[in-house]
This record gives sequence, structure tokens and C-alpha cells, in this order.
Amino acid sequence: MEAAGGGGAAAAGGGGGIALHDFSGRLGEQRVHFHAMRLRDSLFLWVGAAPALATLAVAMCNPRDSIPVAASLLGDPSDTASACLAQRLASKTKKQIFVSYNLQNTDSSFTLLIENRIKEEMMAFPEKF
Amino acid sequence: MAANPIVMSKQREEVVHGVPTEVVCTAFSNSILVVVTQYGKMGTIVYVDPRTVGDNVVRPSLTTKVLLGKDEPLVHVCAKNLVAFVSQEAGNKPVLLAMALKDKTMEGIQALREVIRSCQVW
Repeated sequence: MEAAGGGGAAAAGGGGGIALHDFSGRLGEQRVHFHAMRLRDSLFLWVGAAPALATLAVAMCNPRDSIPVAASLLGDPSDTASACLAQRLASKTKKQIFVSYNLQNTDSSFTLLIENRIKEEMMAFPEKF
Repeated sequence: MAANPIVMSKQREEVVHGVPTEVVCTAFSNSILVVVTQYGKMGTIVYVDPRTVGDNVVRPSLTTKVLLGKDEPLVHVCAKNLVAFVSQEAGNKPVLLAMALKDKTMEGIQALREVIRSCQVW
């Protein structure tokens, strides 16, 4: 497991500004890369093995329901992997979350590994999220 | 194992016509993500797609689709003005644009275009 600050992330300083954060992890047989961009009260997170962006979903908490609302913005709307991950992260962080999940494997056990890797990184570098 | 990021990003903070602005450009293999924000948020998300319509292969026409946010003519105009050159210079790749703008004047957009150009990752 390793992490690297994104280009120019240090310039943004702590707290304000957009912070970029790249990290990766070997999950199962696969090396999975993550690219996080922290904005004001929101987070953009890209997940993939190859540097392509094919899907995008957004999720945010709402006062009427304990489950965050999610919407698929880009890609096949029947592929709910991005939306599900966004929903789970929104529920954890209470922020508006954009997720682009670009892995073939969408088994629940695998996505749980992904989610745990993200949470681990959030614990280690809370200022980046 | 190298800790190099798999996608390249460039970031810039600048005061454009008196408004603090942040720009982040990220190069994916199949598209370019451009974030232009004067509110610190993603704002309106527009997919700018250069897919050729008809036979005009030399300069494909851009289609703009608002994925999230207000879908009004000015948004499409701003999106095209801001990132048409990005798509073109990137070899006609689609651009995913997230913009939250206070200043949508012609001069403002022109100045923002230069900030985007300074974050060239394509």
C-alpha cells in the first residue's frame, strides 16, 4: 500500500482549496488505483486499474432517509457499482460524493475490499478527504 | 512499487477578474476531466463530446450534455467556450467539465480559458 500526493496538491495547503490525492492497493489479484479530489464539502473519487473514466455517479445524504440518494450521471445506468460506492461513502462522510468506478469486478466482496481500502486511506490522511 | 499516480493532474489557483478561481485538469486515457470552480465545488457537470455528426471529420461538432445541474443555454455556451480547445488539442477526446462560476461574462470565460491552458495535461 502506498500513497502519493497528486501534482501540486501541496500548493493548496491544509483546509482550503482543492486537494488531490493518489493512492493504490493490491486487492485480490489486482492492483487498483485511486484518485481523490477533495473540494468544498464534496469529494470526487476515481477508482480503476487502467486510466480510463467510463462511469460517474453522485450521492448525498438527505434528511428524510438514512440511505443517501444516488444518481448515475455517466455510463451505463444499469451498472450501479459507482452509485453504490458513492452512497456508502456519502453515508460515512456526510459529504456529497462523486464516484467513478472503472473495474470489471463488481462482486460485493470485492467492492467491500475497495471500500475498506478507501476508508483506511481516509483514516491515514483525513485532510485529503 | 512506484507510487506514481496512474492519472496525471495539474492544478492552479488564480484570481481571475477579481474572483478567486481554482482549476484542476486530469488526463484519463479516454477523456479529460476539467474542474473550474469559483465556489470550491463541482457545480454543474457537463459532458462535452466531439463525436462526429455527419461527415465533417476535419472539425467534428461538439455536443454538450448537462449531466448534473441547471440545463440552460448559457451553460452549454460556457462549456463549449471553455473546453472546446481542450477536446481538440487532446485529439478529439471528450471532456468532462465541472464548473461553478460566479463570472460568466465573455471576458471572464476568456480569462478562464487561459488558466485551463496553463494546466495542460493532454
